[in-house]
Amino acid sequence: MVRLITHNVLACHAKNCNTNNFPLQFKDVKVEHREAEFNADFLKGFLPKLEWKALVDTAKELGDTSLPDEQPEMLDDEFLQNLHHVLLEIHVEEGSMTCPNCGHVYPIFNGIPNMLLAEHEIG
Amino acid sequence: MPTPFLFHFAQAHNEFRLPELSSICELHGIPFSLSKNPQSNDPNRPFMVIELENEEQARILAKRCILIKAIYEFYGQGSTYEELHEENRKSEPLWRKYVENTSFRFLITAYQHKIPQSRQRDVMESFAYMGFLGKIDMKNPEITLTCFEDYEERTGVTRVKHEGDGDFRQVFFGRLIVDGSARALIGKFDVKKRVYYGNTSMESEISLIMANQTLAAPGKFIYDPFMGTGSMAYPTAHFGAFIFGSDIDGRQMRGKQKEPGVLRAAKQYGVASRIIDLSTFDITHNPLRCGEMFDAIVTDPPYGVRAGAKRLGRKKSLPDYKKELTRQHNLNGRPDDQPYIPPTKPYELSHLARDLVLLSRYLLKPGGRLVFFLPTVTDEYEEVDIHTMLCEGMEVIANSLQDFGSWGRRLVTIRKVTKEKYPPPTFEPAPNDQDTHIPAHKDFREKYFQGFRSSKSESVEPEGQEQDSGSDAQQ
Ligand SMILES: C[S@@+](CC[C@H](N)C(=O)[O-])C[C@H]1O[C@@H](n2cnc3c(N)ncnc32)[C@H](O)[C@@H]1O
Ligand SMILES: [Zn+2]
Repeated sequence: MVRLITHNVLACHAKNCNTNNFPLQFKDVKVEHREAEFNADFLKGFLPKLEWKALVDTAKELGDTSLPDEQPEMLDDEFLQNLHHVLLEIHVEEGSMTCPNCGHVYPIFNGIPNMLLAEHEIG
Repeated sequence: MPTPFLFHFAQAHNEFRLPELSSICELHGIPFSLSKNPQSNDPNRPFMVIELENEEQARILAKRCILIKAIYEFYGQGSTYEELHEENRKSEPLWRKYVENTSFRFLITAYQHKIPQSRQRDVMESFAYMGFLGKIDMKNPEITLTCFEDYEERTGVTRVKHEGDGDFRQVFFGRLIVDGSARALIGKFDVKKRVYYGNTSMESEISLIMANQTLAAPGKFIYDPFMGTGSMAYPTAHFGAFIFGSDIDGRQMRGKQKEPGVLRAAKQYGVASRIIDLSTFDITHNPLRCGEMFDAIVTDPPYGVRAGAKRLGRKKSLPDYKKELTRQHNLNGRPDDQPYIPPTKPYELSHLARDLVLLSRYLLKPGGRLVFFLPTVTDEYEEVDIHTMLCEGMEVIANSLQDFGSWGRRLVTIRKVTKEKYPPPTFEPAPNDQDTHIPAHKDFREKYFQGFRSSKSESVEPEGQEQDSGSDAQQ
């Protein structure tokens, strides 16, 4: 857990942290790979929601270079398989995610990220 | 061509029956219509006649609807056997093909009554005109013909065995097409047999019905923002959907072992890979970067009885210099090296309900559904209560009461009917407008712990332990 699909939709939400607050930077991660069900419709449906560059860069950091720098127009099977693997099969189990803007550290324990804010970070 | 089918429904959660049926019909594109006969279109009776296009559709429904016990090809009904036989004779084109050479079994049964054997025999003989020539086979027949007598409920009345025999409201007759196989899931998802559950877990039958209200299916993405121990996630994932869950209190999702409890339970049901992620956050301060992500949101919001409704913050906000002190303290880490736990304040139910609808409008794809429970004071409830929490673009499509006496909870299904894009909600309390209607679910927690003293009905002492509403959020 903390799959890259989730990482791609989480942004720092501390008070007044509205720019450069995404993507959160993984640190000291422990990664596991686990097989997931392939569903082409799900992937195609989610594609417009993704921040592509953030996804490609994060995948590279975690050692996966299978995705092209630009989102392709033709969604062939090989691309969808790679996307499937990156989005759903790479799990960050331990470590943390740091906001590139304010530096808030969101820790991950046993695959669950703690996205709670501290008192001074809420409105 | 529309054909009438006889549906045998479970006598449970009657108000959920038709919403569930229409949800599953919508999911599979099955057009249906209810009988015009008041004797066979009452959702409080066990038998209903419903038109479908073909048998295949009946099989789909029986496989998925939790409240369907069985579906029959419908041959006739009546308030007397004369009426029934008259209709059954007209249905001959439907059963003629079984006359020649089909093994069969004939069952005569009753709802809320036991028919004496001698009359069962008489009834069976009264069908002799059908002239079935195949062999009778009680164990493995090719077809089963069933005659149901529907009697008035007589709970609380003691009566002699067989008393009132023959005084049925209505008798129905048809050929069994399929037994409802979804009911077996109630046992499969039984909370007591689950490797991880808590005092907020939702009973399995209701969780399954909720999952059906979401139109869960492979390829869909469904969110529970008050995930707790994940009761609705398992059936929803069982029907093929991917799940995302979050909770302000991570301990609810984790349990005590290293591997999170929700994942252990999901493994037990073979759906762990469909639990996409779990995350700890307060929905009123959430980290989700974009909207229109989910096909459905299914949840049992906290209403303060078993697990307090709360949000980050303090009842009384700290002065700035104190906030600065806590900030410094957090930055430097805590001496015991425990993770920082922010304080929380109570979150009033009618405010939460409105926020949930606004949040769902933001997070749902167009056409997506919000399915959630709203507790309410039975005697004070008015239909407008639901409208106090709606906003533009969100429409109620079902609202079913589960009645506990002085209080109850309504399973509300709301559809996002707009393609418009909306901003995320601000989670600010609504302005205190004198003219606005005050719904019965406002301050539900307080009313609950007062035993609904102001309500007209006998108050039932509420069970359950009050939890500290000012407790802290936990990762
Ligand atoms: C009624 S329980 C849900 C139970 C869940 N359906 C289950 O199967 O256990 C409500 C949950 O909402 C959580 N909660 C309360 N306030 C919250 C908030 N502001 N944001 C997110 N979760 C919250 C509580 O921690 C609790 O686990
Ligand atoms: Zn930040």
